[in-house]
Amino acid sequence: MGDLFTGIGQEIISGIALGCIYALIALGFTLIYKATEVVNFAQGELMMVGAYVNFFFITTFISSTGAPTLWLFIVALAGSIFFALVFGWLLDLIINRPMKDEPIFSIIMATISLSIILRALVAIIAGPMSLIPVSPFGEGVVSFGGIFISILDIFIIGSAVILVVLFYYFFNKTRWGVAMQATSEDPIAAQLMGIPVNRVNSLVWIFSALVATISGILLAPKLSLLDTTMGFLGLKAFPAAVLGGFGSIAGAIAGGVIMGVIETISMGTLSFHFEWIKEINDIIVWIVLIAVLMIKPDGLFGVEKVKKV
Amino acid sequence: MKDRHEDENLHWIPVLIALVILLPFIIQGLTYSYKYYLFVLNIAGIYIILTVGLDLLSGYTGLISLGHAAFLAIGAYTSAILVDQVGIPFFLSMLLSPLIAGLFGLVIGFPALRITGMYLGLTTMGFGFIVKRLIIALREWTHGAGGLDVSYPVIFGYTIRTDWDNYYLIYFFAVLAVIAGRRIGKSKIGRAFMAIRDSEQAAEASSVNLAKYKMLAFFISGLFAGFAGVLFAHTNHFISTDHFDMLLSIYFIIMVLVGGVSSIYGAVLGTLFIVLLDNLFVPLLEDWIHVFFNTETGDIQSLIFGLVMFLFIIFQPMGLYGMWLKMRIYWKLFPFNPRKRFT
Repeated sequence: MGDLFTGIGQEIISGIALGCIYALIALGFTLIYKATEVVNFAQGELMMVGAYVNFFFITTFISSTGAPTLWLFIVALAGSIFFALVFGWLLDLIINRPMKDEPIFSIIMATISLSIILRALVAIIAGPMSLIPVSPFGEGVVSFGGIFISILDIFIIGSAVILVVLFYYFFNKTRWGVAMQATSEDPIAAQLMGIPVNRVNSLVWIFSALVATISGILLAPKLSLLDTTMGFLGLKAFPAAVLGGFGSIAGAIAGGVIMGVIETISMGTLSFHFEWIKEINDIIVWIVLIAVLMIKPDGLFGVEKVKKV
Repeated sequence: MKDRHEDENLHWIPVLIALVILLPFIIQGLTYSYKYYLFVLNIAGIYIILTVGLDLLSGYTGLISLGHAAFLAIGAYTSAILVDQVGIPFFLSMLLSPLIAGLFGLVIGFPALRITGMYLGLTTMGFGFIVKRLIIALREWTHGAGGLDVSYPVIFGYTIRTDWDNYYLIYFFAVLAVIAGRRIGKSKIGRAFMAIRDSEQAAEASSVNLAKYKMLAFFISGLFAGFAGVLFAHTNHFISTDHFDMLLSIYFIIMVLVGGVSSIYGAVLGTLFIVLLDNLFVPLLEDWIHVFFNTETGDIQSLIFGLVMFLFIIFQPMGLYGMWLKMRIYWKLFPFNPRKRFT
């Protein structure tokens, strides 16, 4: 029995780490959805692009300076963050501005086509081979009473918590954060109150590219292989966000973590004890999604919406 | 005054049929590699049947489906199992398999009663993943991920083997599907669909039964896709889960969007455009790009498709059919065009 409990505890811990990645991706598109009503299906691809750019920086620095040092990783991180800023700003120009007031169908398809384009471009530029990411966290493991946590997982959970706290502070305490809330509430009224809605929107896209890049940098060493299928992981963040309640930041985080735990437990203990669970491991998030939509479409933390004619 | 049931565009049908019958002969006269063109046209024909159904669902009713390849897969696998393992004649399977795909449409239409927009897109996408996984799990009948060999279609004792025969089999039903799609679109059902798309609340207030018509839209769409699946399985002779990828579902939506949403002829045009682009233009481009980059097959294809769809959504949301309508109005008004209206 004790074995079973440590096994499940182990799975819950690594599930939380995986869930934090989902939560970060979900945070990215929740920001966009709240501010502009655009559902960004390309969030996973933004993450992938971030991971690739970071990898590119690291390998160029290593080849020019020799051995990888901690400073090198920090410089590469700064480079990737700078890239994310420019990239998010560009995406706002390309996707958000022309798609304003289009029906939701067109917007979804536009972001899906963006995801296809990004995946293909990265595959063409980086070549067909999978890359092996270099990470500063190494293979180290910490033990807490029989439960092992890798240092990478600690970093993932830690940076997710830091990012969420930062965003919470930003949204509720700063001028720009309040302006963003106003814009997501009612763009026209916000514009009339003198809020530069266009600039707020481009800030939102920049933030979401930033979050995506950071989650990509954290996820790449966890997957231990870097290739373009990483973008599909972003799709799994959608069921997570729906589970928590689409459009609420708290919901995105809670849903992400819960979904990560569900997935790891079904992959581990449940598959070990029940043969048939093995068959549905990689679609469990979608089954949860359909169940949530049938039972409680607003999710755990969602607010019920009233339909207007 | 035009009669209520009169549809001016139906006058094109005889021309269309004549063109469809003569096309292989024309192509044969033009090139030696006509067999490849026939093969490409066959794929286009199968996809036309599916996109007509998808247009009724996504274009007319406004319900997004990002998992339509799943219905194709259900039709294909059902027919393959019914004909080869149960021993039902192909003709009967052509009736039964689409029905089963349609029933799956009802299953996925049920949650659609409560959810719309992005949620529906996610649900149908999840449905696509689930069906694919289910096919692998039922490996006693489907041989899992290894794929399934399918027999040749036999109609009234005549075995259809060559691309030439396939062409007439597929296009007989493709033309039927186009006519049926148009008739449904112009009928009471189609008008109810459009009312639901424009405003659910207004439609409900005008006594359109939302639940009934949404389920019906999914059923009809599943029927068309299942039929396409039957033809796909028996003319391709081999099916595996790789044929029914999530990306394929998105390509179907691209076909509908590029052709022009909520017009059946638009769906046909878009499908022909995308399939011809895929099979005739992309290989050439791939050869050319290989000189500079070492690319995997498929990357260039998805890049082109993504770009095409992106440009169409931004610059020409009405699609090819909308372009044709604009052109027609332009020539009707020719010397007296108001300036800068049709740019």
